[in-house]
Formats: sequence, C-alpha cells, structure tokens
Amino acid sequence: MTIKLFTLLLQAAISTLGISLISIAIGFVIAIILSAATLSHKSIYVVPARLFISFFRGVPLLVQLLLIYTLLPVIGINVPSIVAAIVGMSLCTAAYQAENLRGGFESVPRGLIEAAEVTGLSPRQTFFRIRVPIALRLTFPALINEAIMILKSSSLVSVVGIIEITKMAQDLASSTYLPIPIFASAALIYLVINSIVALIGRFAERSLGGAST
Amino acid sequence: MIFNPQIILEKLPEIGSGLLVTLILWLVGIAGGVAVGFLVATARRFGGRAINLGLGALVEVLRGTPFLIQVFLLYYGGPFVGLMLDPIPCGLIALTVYAAAYYSEIFRAGYAAVPPGHVEAAECLGLSRLQAIRRVQIPEMALIVLPPAVNLAVILLKESAVLSIITVPELTATVSAIGSQQYAFLEAIFVLAVIYWAIVEATGRLGRVAENRLSRLRTANA
Amino acid sequence: MLKRHFLKAAVSLALFAGTALSAHAADDALARIKAAGVMKVGTETAFAPFDFIDGGDHAGLNVDFFAELGKDLGVKIEWVALPWDGVLPGLEAGKFDFVAGPATITKARLERYKMTSPIAEATVAILKKAGDKTITKPEDIAGKAVGVGKATAQLAQLQEYSATLSKKVEVREYVSFNDAYADLAAGRVVAVANSLPNIAFVAQQRKGAFEVVTPAFGKKTYFGFIGKKDEDSKTLVDLVNEETIKMKKDGRLGKMQEKWFGTKFDTPDAVTDPAF
Repeated sequence: MTIKLFTLLLQAAISTLGISLISIAIGFVIAIILSAATLSHKSIYVVPARLFISFFRGVPLLVQLLLIYTLLPVIGINVPSIVAAIVGMSLCTAAYQAENLRGGFESVPRGLIEAAEVTGLSPRQTFFRIRVPIALRLTFPALINEAIMILKSSSLVSVVGIIEITKMAQDLASSTYLPIPIFASAALIYLVINSIVALIGRFAERSLGGAST
Repeated sequence: MIFNPQIILEKLPEIGSGLLVTLILWLVGIAGGVAVGFLVATARRFGGRAINLGLGALVEVLRGTPFLIQVFLLYYGGPFVGLMLDPIPCGLIALTVYAAAYYSEIFRAGYAAVPPGHVEAAECLGLSRLQAIRRVQIPEMALIVLPPAVNLAVILLKESAVLSIITVPELTATVSAIGSQQYAFLEAIFVLAVIYWAIVEATGRLGRVAENRLSRLRTANA
Repeated sequence: MLKRHFLKAAVSLALFAGTALSAHAADDALARIKAAGVMKVGTETAFAPFDFIDGGDHAGLNVDFFAELGKDLGVKIEWVALPWDGVLPGLEAGKFDFVAGPATITKARLERYKMTSPIAEATVAILKKAGDKTITKPEDIAGKAVGVGKATAQLAQLQEYSATLSKKVEVREYVSFNDAYADLAAGRVVAVANSLPNIAFVAQQRKGAFEVVTPAFGKKTYFGFIGKKDEDSKTLVDLVNEETIKMKKDGRLGKMQEKWFGTKFDTPDAVTDPAF
C-alpha cells in the first residue's frame, strides 16, 4: 500500500461525498413534500406518496439505480451517469427521510398545534412555523443516521458508471493484488467520514437544544 | 423497444432457485443476526466496561462501513490470511455479522427503554436476576424492538442483493444473468424490482400483525 | 483527475437540458458527435490488456485505439465505465455512442448489433494456476469450478463446451474477469475461461502465478467494437469500421497489438459468419 494508492482513494472520496451530500439535500426536499402529502388526509395525495415511499423502500438500491439508468431513456429522458446516480440515491433517501419526518410530525404535541391555531395562525403558518421546526428537531438524529446510510449506499453507484471509493478500491485491488490493505483503507475512509458526520450531528443536536420537547 | 417480461418469466425454475438462495441467506442472516446481536447487547449491558467498549467499537466499525466493502474484505482478503470461504458461506457470514451489529443496537435501545424499576420490582418479588430478565425485561423489550427489527430485516433483504457481486447465485445475480442472456435487460430489472417489493410488502404486513398480536397479548396479561 | 471528472460531470449536468434540446438539430449519431465535439464510448475497465486501470490510470489497447480515432475524427473521447453486464444495456439505452469492450463477434450479437472489423483474436482458452498438474488439457476442467465473466460470450462458450464434457463444469459468473483471476489465485476456482490475448497477458504479467492451457477449447472467434444497428448509427458504425481497416493497413493497429500483446497477428477485414 503506497501513498499514491491511498491518494487515489482519497480523490475518489470526493465523488462519494459530493454525490451523497447532494442526494441527501435533494432527498430532504422531496421528503418534506412526501410527508406533507401523507399527512394531508386527501387520498389523491396520500396514495401516490405512500406508493412512492413503499416502492423506494422496498427495492434494493442496486436495482433502483439500474432501473433509473436504463428505464428513463425509454421514456425519452436520457441522463448521464452522475444524474442517474444522484436521482437514484435522492429518491431512495427521500422515501426513508419521509418516513422519519412523518414520525416527527406525528409526535408534535397536539396542544402546540391547537395553541398556534387559537392564536390566529393559518394552517399553512402553523405547518411551516410550528410543525416543521419541531418535527425537524425531533427527527434530526434520524436524519444523521440516514446521511450515514446514504454515504454507505453510494458504494453501489459504480453500476451506473461513477467512480467512487469502492469502485476505485476494486480497480486498485485487482491491479495491485493487494485486496486487504486497499479495502481496509477504503473502509477506514468511510469510517472517518461517517464518524465526522456523526460528530457534526451530535454537535448540531446540542446547539439545536436537543429533542427537549 | 418491446417490453416483454414474459421472456424473463419463462425461466421460472432458475428464478425460483435464485429466490430460494436469497430467502435462505436472508432468513438465516436474520436469525443469526438476532441471536448474535442479542448476545452482544447483553454482554455490553452486563459484561463490564471493557467488554462494552470493545464490542461498541466493533459495532461502530461495522455500522460505519459499507456492506460491500466488508464483503470484499472477507471474500477477496480472506484467502490472504488463510480464510477461504465459498461464496454462499462467505455471504452468509458477512450478512450475519452486519445484521448482528445493527440488531445489537436495537436490543441495546430496548434494554435502555425498559425502566430498571420493573426488573428491580421483579427481583423484590423474589425472582432471580435471570428470571427477572427472562420474565420481565425481555417481554417488555419485545414490543419496543419489534418495529425497528422488522425495518432492519427489510434492509437486510435489500443488502443481500449486494452478494451477487461475489458470485452468490441469489435472486439479483440469477435474474440479471437471464436478462443478459436473453438481451432483455429492462425486463430483468423490472422483474427483480417487483419480486423484492412483494417480499418487502409482505414482511411489513407480517410485522404489523405481529406487533398487534404482541401488544394485545401484553394488555391482556396486564 | 477524478475531481476534474466529477466537476465535468456536474457541469454537464447543468448543461444537460440545453444539449438535449440542441441535439435534435443534427441528423444522425455521427453528425451529433461532430457537432458536440465529443464521442462517448462505453466500456468495462477490467479487461486487460484491452481496457484496464493501471495504477489509477485508464490504459489499454482501447484507450490507444479510440485516441487515434478521436484524432482522425477531430473529437474528444469521453469514457463511460460500467460493469460489463451493464455495457450493452447502456448502449441500447443511448448512454454512449459506441462500445469499446471489445466484444467477441458472435452470431447472437450480430443479430442485435453492428460490429466492426476485428481487432484481435478472441478464441477462448483456459488459464490455470502455475504448476497445476491436474489440468493439462481443456477437458480436465470437467466437474470442476471454473470462473468466467458475467454476460460475456466467453461464458456462453464455456457453457456450450461444458455440455460436451463427461461431467459438467461448475461455472462461476464474476462481475469482471479480474475478480475471476483473484479467485483463481485464491484457489476457489481451478481455472478461468477467457480469450487468448487476455489470459496470455495476465499470465505474462504474473509469471509464476498463472499459466495458459493450450490448445484453446473454443471455436476461432474475433474481437470487435459494437455499435447500434439502427439507421441513426449507420454512418457512425461505417466510419469506425473504415477507421479500423485504415489503422490495420497503415500499421497503427499492428503497433498497438505489439505494445499490448507482445505480438502482431492478422485478423480478417470483416466477420460475417462467426463460428459461434
């Protein structure tokens, strides 16, 4: 295991990080829409949102990525590898994040919502000013967990042509015949990234005031 | 392009054998993971500080690295240190170890969620420590751990698809091979998605039924 | 390199909507490539000496060949690396304009794709561990575990050959041939079935570890590049084909063969009726 090989793995980590972070952010936005839909009590919103969540939680990411990569062109949307990877991971994480958020929304104390309504806030204001912030605080630890899950899942995006840590490790292991040091180094890089994410999470949780509600 | 999943479904015996391998890997992985995970959580709770820290570090490593990397290390790294496993046993061990790490965390949370007062009360009533754990702690934990345990089972089913990469002849490997052979790529992916989705949905339903039963049992006993 | 790749991809993502629209202006695949100044080529980077990662760099005969092609055509080559079982689906889905591979020219593939003039021989033989006395001829693999790449013509030929043996071969399908070689070294399989230029290269790279078993068990086949069969790709496929023949005639291909295989060999100008 040379410095050069380790540097190559670190460079590949940029792809891993970039794709994961973008996917988590996009997934979060979709998740808010999805969870609002599932909580709307209107079946034209609830049914498609539930179906979406069920599908993307029920099918392996490996299969989802291939589906997006090869299916989208058939319906006339041809996307490059990077877009396919980000779309696949975003939709998958959106489904998981939506379930977390829904749990968070449901745990917002009824009394707080009623109090907001009594003080004259519109339902929309109540949703965005009361329910969203509280639900976010409640589900923050789950969001951090999901971020770690997505960082790990990004090890699969090489099936649509992206070179990230795992693919780089595979290529290097087969050209140098040093699988143990290379895969162990790759594992170490993931571990360090994920530990940093977990630390940031704990720090942010504390400065958010924790889930004191 | 003509979309015709029939091309894939004609190979029913092969799909069946892939499905069987996936189900066996999955169920054995869950059973092993639950057993080992429970032991790990119990050892961490009652085994003292050193054991808690040691096992805790191991669990963090397993939860902080991708399953695929763990599989590669075991499968391609193993022979370099004299550990030569065939694909299926290798996949089974990797899946069990990965599952155990996550299940141990679920059980740890379960232990923490049962008020210590309940176990103490049982001990005051004359139950031994072991009896108190078996008759009070575990039944109370069961209801708490069931939903995350079912969730994890679903995640493990999906992770098992990764084992196709080390030549385990499971569902994903089998169906995608048929797809390549028949030049029916999209159909193969579609069939795969539907089969996994069906298993996951069924598992979720089963989990909810079990949850209802368990909570009814508990209220009935109380 | 990777960072640049990632940024480039991000930029292309931003420009994606724009190019998708403008692409319709040109009439066919070749015209679009020329207009864009970029030809996208799909491949698998675990197929030495044609296509592999050498200490982090993309190398092999494919890279040299398409660099020459790009020069002649005045376009840049953009590589898309996928696992082999994703490459042909990628071509059909329009992810790239051409497949490097290379791929064995077979009857089944000719029915579905256009294949260019052969660039090397592809006849399948056996690679074994050096000094393995139990395998001295191809039929010795009967009843044993043999590794091969997923979704490859080599796999199809191994299966056909296996059926003729006294005991069927236990075929293990790997995502890439590299993984199969690793398992041969580890001892999980006793042999790997792949085309002669590939296993000759691997045996030469790792002297003392692997050996090629002669004679080849497969029928005589050739490697070519793959394009789409539709009208849209016709001029592109014809051009790559002409380029291949041109490079054969002016000695460039011979030099590449020398560089990557250590030897030159003759290949026909076209394969119309493959043996397999």
